[in-house]
Amino acid sequence: MDEKKQQLTEKKKWENSVAQTLKRFPEREETFTTSSDIEVQRLYDAESNSYKLSYPGQYPYTRGIQPSMYRSRFWTMRQYAGFGSATETNKRFRYLLDQGQTGLSVAFDLPTQIGYDSDDIMSEGEVGKVGVAIDTLKDMEQLLDQIPLDKVSTSMTINAPASVLLCMYIAVGEKQGVPLEKLTGTIQNDILKEYIARGTYIFPPKPSMRLITNIFEFCQKYVPKFNTISISGYHIREAGSNAVQEAAFTIANGIAYVDAAIDSGLDIDSFAPRLAFFFNAHNNFFEEVAKFRAARRIWAKIMKEQYKAKDPKSWKLRFHTQTGGSTLTAQQPDNNIVRVTLQALAAVMGGTQSLHTNSRDEALSLPTEESARIALRTQQIIAHESGVADTIDPLGGSYYVEALTDEMERKINDYLDHIKEIGGAVQAVEEGYMQREIHQNAYEIQKRIEKEEEIIVGLNKFKLDEEVNPDLLKVDEALEKSQIESLQTIRNERNQEAVNKALAELKENAKHAQTNLMPSILEAVRAYASVGEICNVLREEFGEYTGL
Amino acid sequence: MKKIRVLVAKPGLDGHDRGALVIAQALRDHGMEVIYTGLRQSPAQIAQAAVQEDVDVIGLSSLSGAHRTLFPKVLEELEKRNASDIPVIAGGVIPSEDIPYLIDKGIKKIFTSGSSTEVLADYIQELIDPKTKSIEKPHKIAHIGIAVESIDYALPFYTDSLGLELEMVEQVESEGVKIAFIKIGETRLELLEPLNDSSSVRKFLDKKGEGIHHIALEVDDIETRLQQLNKQGIKLINEKAKTGAHNSQIAFIHPKAANGVLFELCQHERNED
Repeated sequence: MDEKKQQLTEKKKWENSVAQTLKRFPEREETFTTSSDIEVQRLYDAESNSYKLSYPGQYPYTRGIQPSMYRSRFWTMRQYAGFGSATETNKRFRYLLDQGQTGLSVAFDLPTQIGYDSDDIMSEGEVGKVGVAIDTLKDMEQLLDQIPLDKVSTSMTINAPASVLLCMYIAVGEKQGVPLEKLTGTIQNDILKEYIARGTYIFPPKPSMRLITNIFEFCQKYVPKFNTISISGYHIREAGSNAVQEAAFTIANGIAYVDAAIDSGLDIDSFAPRLAFFFNAHNNFFEEVAKFRAARRIWAKIMKEQYKAKDPKSWKLRFHTQTGGSTLTAQQPDNNIVRVTLQALAAVMGGTQSLHTNSRDEALSLPTEESARIALRTQQIIAHESGVADTIDPLGGSYYVEALTDEMERKINDYLDHIKEIGGAVQAVEEGYMQREIHQNAYEIQKRIEKEEEIIVGLNKFKLDEEVNPDLLKVDEALEKSQIESLQTIRNERNQEAVNKALAELKENAKHAQTNLMPSILEAVRAYASVGEICNVLREEFGEYTGL
Repeated sequence: MKKIRVLVAKPGLDGHDRGALVIAQALRDHGMEVIYTGLRQSPAQIAQAAVQEDVDVIGLSSLSGAHRTLFPKVLEELEKRNASDIPVIAGGVIPSEDIPYLIDKGIKKIFTSGSSTEVLADYIQELIDPKTKSIEKPHKIAHIGIAVESIDYALPFYTDSLGLELEMVEQVESEGVKIAFIKIGETRLELLEPLNDSSSVRKFLDKKGEGIHHIALEVDDIETRLQQLNKQGIKLINEKAKTGAHNSQIAFIHPKAANGVLFELCQHERNED
């Protein structure tokens, strides 16, 4: 008791001395706030929170989902890559694996992501630009050539046509002689955030949700080690949300997928352990760490208390992190290496399961090989040199981080309550609620930057007179033509009868809402039907989403 | 006055519309009417919408790398509809080496990452309604200032060797310099000699030796131009104009804002030339 009294006297003393000091050295700002407008106090101490922390690997997992975290195994270093042709991307993949990367992450071009073949009129100018162009199984075979699918886990950023690309991956596995239950990886398969923020939707929400639950069911039976969805806040943040909104909208979407799966008759513990998450890491270091910790705690509580999941694996929020693309500047691009380092550190301090670090030149173009290597080296330096991975949750118990974690949990829950009132995430998306919230915040950020209320080094302060133009990656313009030619060759060589039969069967099955479409998509893929052909059959049955 | 109508469009399959939406909102806040097409518009759809909506300007945004193909297509589609008079500006992730190509194809201007919405709004305002453009661009180089230790020693090179005509010599006490104007074509060379140790020309000579000191641009309406530059975040040495040689109004722009070159804005009396 005496000790406590002593403490209070000391605090009083400090407060007095602060008051004196401020007369001569006023504070830099009137109030200090995080990106989510949480006011940051001058000092946090034992009175700031009354946290009770569980241990790592214990519900509700504030300190991490595994009992030993990075002392056993570092996070998976997974760099998102892909450009041009499958053959070129295959070369980059094998280079990255040689450099010590531990998992693959495939970027597809926009036509593939939106279910158009390379020769579709809509694909003009876009083939192979932001990722690899995949038309048929043939391209997938080239993409994964000499990469052992039983040893490497592959993450595929694919959403609306996720079922098609997953079937192609399965078919390549079959050809390599790898049993399905040995395939590991993740498909993004998160359509709700496409409507909200990323824009690569094809079908309206209802049939899209059906495709997603079809994948859940199919994988649970045949590909049990594959993560069937990566519920993504990344793009929500990139579109302009703050940290609280990112976590809140992502979790709200997660709840919508769980509801859809339960409605389709699945048991919570049969699919929930395969749900994965994908978050962003921006610059406000402690806020980001707190976001990851709060998100983990909230998801665990929802799964256990609301959905009565019994398997602890269902309670654990496992997540991938990518550093914030929108925080990078085209000006003085080397500064971005430092931003990426801070963001990656926040992800590691937040307990991420895997990490992509952005390349310094991403505000200018797709990354060059050199930039991609520096980005990977950044993670390796954090892992092997900094020592931050040598103890579990090193920021746990920090007065500030714990107070911020609590505050974020409160604010995220407020959003979740509001979305529930609207009628859930699907309804909120259809009404444009999340889109408006994000847009509003994006506009506020822009205004703050232009008024220099927010400093971006090299952009609105500490500018250089001359900007150096770094070497940039160029995608060969001739690629579109050669990709179209090889697609035509495949169309001529394949057994067209088998293709027609498979597509007709898919069309028929699509009419019956209770039928799982995965087997017929797999059949069509095996017959070398193209992404565009399969998606067009589904377009005819499902219609297309046209935006708000 | 009729409101300026802007079509903001996303050609191609790119789904990144944060920039497009922010710009749409900023232009609305500047009193313009903005129509946003939404995602995945073909060049034909964009041209069609521009004609139908009778817009004054089109803004294209692309972050996917398809700009080299799609931006010129939009111009072609406008031409097919006899609407080539609608100016097209663009932004997004556009590598700087692609900019000359796009300008050559007929895109009016490219705003890349880091551009301010304020500058964009002013640009559109002036593009569409030149009357609101209160100030004209600089007419010519008024003079090139050359710092010298001594005008008397320097002069023979200009007058004898080059055969140029000495126009006048004058002392500007406020700047602590003696200057000599030498006429060359429509412009002048200005030799600057320091009068005392506190003169900025003295400091220049001590630091860099003799050589080109500044370039002066002939402008109208110097005060408004200074305000405008200030608003755009251009660093100025003089935020207000002062009296310079020959009764001109002058102000200096900070070399940091101009690639290390010291620029002087210079406004002469109208009746002078």
